[in-house]
Amino acid sequence: MVGPTASLSNLHRADGSASYKCPVTGYDVLGAVNAPIELPARKDALKPEDATIEVFVKPGKATAGVGERYVERILRTMLEKVILGREKGLPRRGVVITLAAVGGEAAERGDSYITIIPALLHASLLALISAAVPLSMTFTTTLLGVTRSGQIIRDPSPAAAKAVASLHVLSFSSKGHLLLSESQGRFDFETWELVRQQAASICRAVATTGSDGDTDMGEGADGAHVDAFVRETVEDSLHRDYTWKLESA
Amino acid sequence: MASTSNEAPAVPPSLSLPPSQFARLQPHAYLLAHLSPPAATNQPSIRANGREPLQFRTTSANCGSLTHTNGSAVVRIGDTAAVCGVRAELLHTDDIASWSVARTSSASTNKRQRLAELGEDVTEEDNEDEDDQDRAHIEDLSLLVPNLSLSTGCAPGYLPGAPPSTTAQSISHEILSLLHSSRLVKADDLRIWYQPPNLGPEDEQMDVDEGAGKKAETEEQKPREIKAYWVLYIDIMIISLAGNPFDAAWASVVAALRDTKLPNAWWDVDNETVLCSDDVSEAHKLTLRGLPVASSFCVFEADAAAGWRAKPIPNAQQQKKDGKGRWILADPDGYEDNLAHERVSIVVDKEKNGKTVILKMEKVGGWTIDTEDLRRLVDVSSKRWDEMKQIFDQC
Repeated sequence: MVGPTASLSNLHRADGSASYKCPVTGYDVLGAVNAPIELPARKDALKPEDATIEVFVKPGKATAGVGERYVERILRTMLEKVILGREKGLPRRGVVITLAAVGGEAAERGDSYITIIPALLHASLLALISAAVPLSMTFTTTLLGVTRSGQIIRDPSPAAAKAVASLHVLSFSSKGHLLLSESQGRFDFETWELVRQQAASICRAVATTGSDGDTDMGEGADGAHVDAFVRETVEDSLHRDYTWKLESA
Repeated sequence: MASTSNEAPAVPPSLSLPPSQFARLQPHAYLLAHLSPPAATNQPSIRANGREPLQFRTTSANCGSLTHTNGSAVVRIGDTAAVCGVRAELLHTDDIASWSVARTSSASTNKRQRLAELGEDVTEEDNEDEDDQDRAHIEDLSLLVPNLSLSTGCAPGYLPGAPPSTTAQSISHEILSLLHSSRLVKADDLRIWYQPPNLGPEDEQMDVDEGAGKKAETEEQKPREIKAYWVLYIDIMIISLAGNPFDAAWASVVAALRDTKLPNAWWDVDNETVLCSDDVSEAHKLTLRGLPVASSFCVFEADAAAGWRAKPIPNAQQQKKDGKGRWILADPDGYEDNLAHERVSIVVDKEKNGKTVILKMEKVGGWTIDTEDLRRLVDVSSKRWDEMKQIFDQC
């Protein structure tokens, strides 16, 4: 299985930026973060002790519609908890995250937008790190589909996602909290528990306890933990940024 | 100073505030004081609005309130009220640009391919397959068009007459995507068929060569054609908003669709158009798949600032142990909505054998809720389903 690719700080005029590409689902997202910036109007009046977080999602081929509003809301409510908006210099300022879907199939009207959420979340996390916005934790996200026969497939492509019985997006923090869970389709709670178990083992390098031992081993052999991937990307970029220092030492 | 001593009243001002002022000044502390009463007083933990933490507000529904629509409903959950009207309009297949193309490439083969790719058993296909075709038809042709309006002066935060706010757009999308994923409406109800008559002479001319096949051919019916579709415009107005707009909006959509009657329509060959009968007795109701019911919850945290401190973000294991200091509140009203950040929204349906099926589950905006809580909330939602079914059946 081909892993995702990502790079940090590709845009020069934004405070931070990142691109994230997942070859399995085909989504390619470019994210830019500007923070802290002065807000126009009085948007800070509601919560003067906190930063205002704004998320804009731009689809690849069309203008943003109601579906994007929905994704923006999910991303915003999740990131508001992760970004430390009360750190010095951030209250009453804005953190503006702009995400553009550069590649991949555009979702159509009324389609489920949840297939693109992992790519958007990873791009925004890496862009936030690149912009040095204080975060309480990092997070990793995965998309799982459950077929009619109860088989759990990882990262279904948009075409395959239409045929599955239910779709699940789960996001875990670096400390193991369940940050986001979006599920759609017909399923029961036992299915969701299995999905959660598998998602946790994909997202996090820590071994899961339970009956799901074999999938855990498979993922471990791949070394395809999303957690490790995010970590490596940031490490690589830091290494490049500090080459001058390492060489002079 | 002299001036202050002059103005000082004879009776010293009392330092206590009436509860309504306290609620406005310190909303967080006010709700917290209600939920965690001092142990000595022996009072139960109750919300500021007098409800138990997992108690929903009184709900009422009324169908057929609007006379000019094909179906309508008013649903009131506490002080949140939603009006929903369904209007059906005709979409001629001649007006669909890709109609002839879409018809020849059958949806079922595509699905077979997809299933084969996933390594699934292609042979075990029952009415699920038909469901999928239904969904594809409704989605591709956009036969369901829901729109939610919050710009009605429903709450001080939403200006009347303003363009749709992001909340309204987001809920509109949620309703549409739930209508699609729950397959609530059957595509067959929306189709208008036409049976071409057997024109004897033409047929005879065509198969002059086949003497044997002629008789069989004439007896056989010509294939039916779809001449038009009904498009359902589902408009929801939130006329009063006191938190939790999604539950009220979704309940009104379901109630309105249950109430919807489509007139009997047929293709008139001579006029080459679709005609509708104005006889109510000939109109047919929609047959809906199931009865999805939405229930929303929010999480109120005792320590509002826990999220931003540098250190004390608890580990997942540690946090499970205590679990105090947060309350899951069902059906939040406007006051609680502003204080909570983490939200759970669950849409459930029950099958005929009483088994609960989840159609949508969303948890976002925090890290305190995990498997155990969600399991409990799914149980609460399935109890809510029973309540709502009674309410829907009465209206």
